[in-house]
Amino acid sequence: MRDPDEELVLRIGAGDKRAAGELVRRHLPKMVGLARRMLGDATEAEDIAQEVFLRVWRHAAAWKPGQAKFETWMHRVAMNLCLDRLRRGGRHGGEVSPETPDVRASATRALDDRQRRDKVRDALQLLPERQRAALVLCYYQDRTNIEAAEIIGVSVDALESLLSRARRTLKSALSAERADLLSGLETG
Amino acid sequence: MNEARFMGLLAAYGADLARWPEDDRLHAEVFLEGAPHRIRDLWESERAFDHLLLLERDLPASIALETAIISTTPGRLRARTPLDVMSWLSLPRWATGGALAASLALGMAIGYAGEPQQASSPDYAKILTVSGGGAGSVFLAAMNDTEN
Repeated sequence: MRDPDEELVLRIGAGDKRAAGELVRRHLPKMVGLARRMLGDATEAEDIAQEVFLRVWRHAAAWKPGQAKFETWMHRVAMNLCLDRLRRGGRHGGEVSPETPDVRASATRALDDRQRRDKVRDALQLLPERQRAALVLCYYQDRTNIEAAEIIGVSVDALESLLSRARRTLKSALSAERADLLSGLETG
Repeated sequence: MNEARFMGLLAAYGADLARWPEDDRLHAEVFLEGAPHRIRDLWESERAFDHLLLLERDLPASIALETAIISTTPGRLRARTPLDVMSWLSLPRWATGGALAASLALGMAIGYAGEPQQASSPDYAKILTVSGGGAGSVFLAAMNDTEN
């Protein structure tokens, strides 16, 4: 299947600023979303997104059509930047620990959509980084299992294992709230 | 597709079959249609959990960020596109007309200067003498010549 970004990338490589603007508008929300979910910080996510596009400008002229999809390459760059930043900052992610904010604390409180979203966001940050990476790529970035496995650098079987553990961890982290969250969804 | 495989994929990818490996989707759909209640209940439970996870959806990127990133595009010359050619139409009429007239005159002058049979013509010698050579000079000389 033809890479939908191929023509834009070739034009960017030839110095076409209009094509660069189009590529930014097409992919920026996904790049910011990936980085925000991986790092849990909106400002850092914007830094990562800027760095991804700087690399796009640098590599566009040398891009060879017919290789990996350009969007997959962008996701790999963004994910590697996030993992580097997590490791440099000593934030390896981990299982739910007593030190992390307890997302079960406010189980009985009525939650509006924003609060529910925040709860899910907080819970995502509790996942170990590889589980989080797998979940973010497959659930939020709409990558196929093959693309996600390639981006993280694992086999598809290993990816499925990461996804299963991620879902299990999230269910556990959100267990007390789950009923509240879901009843809110049904009535909302 | 057997129950173990179905449950394994459900645990990993959730209830949305569109997210499942492509080769398994159709088999999973058929399996689910004939599945016992306890499996359908589990699938419904996972579907509700998917719904919950997807509350954390993408937000639109800020215009300021978008602008900042676009401004980092290397400032090389832009490749010509068909729209650039069309942009001639948006020039003031006098500018378009002037440019066309200049192009026409330059083309005529170069064509005139390049005619081999005119190499010995006195007029051609005069142009070369006056202009001192070069396409721009030939153009100016030719313009002077036509004015005289």
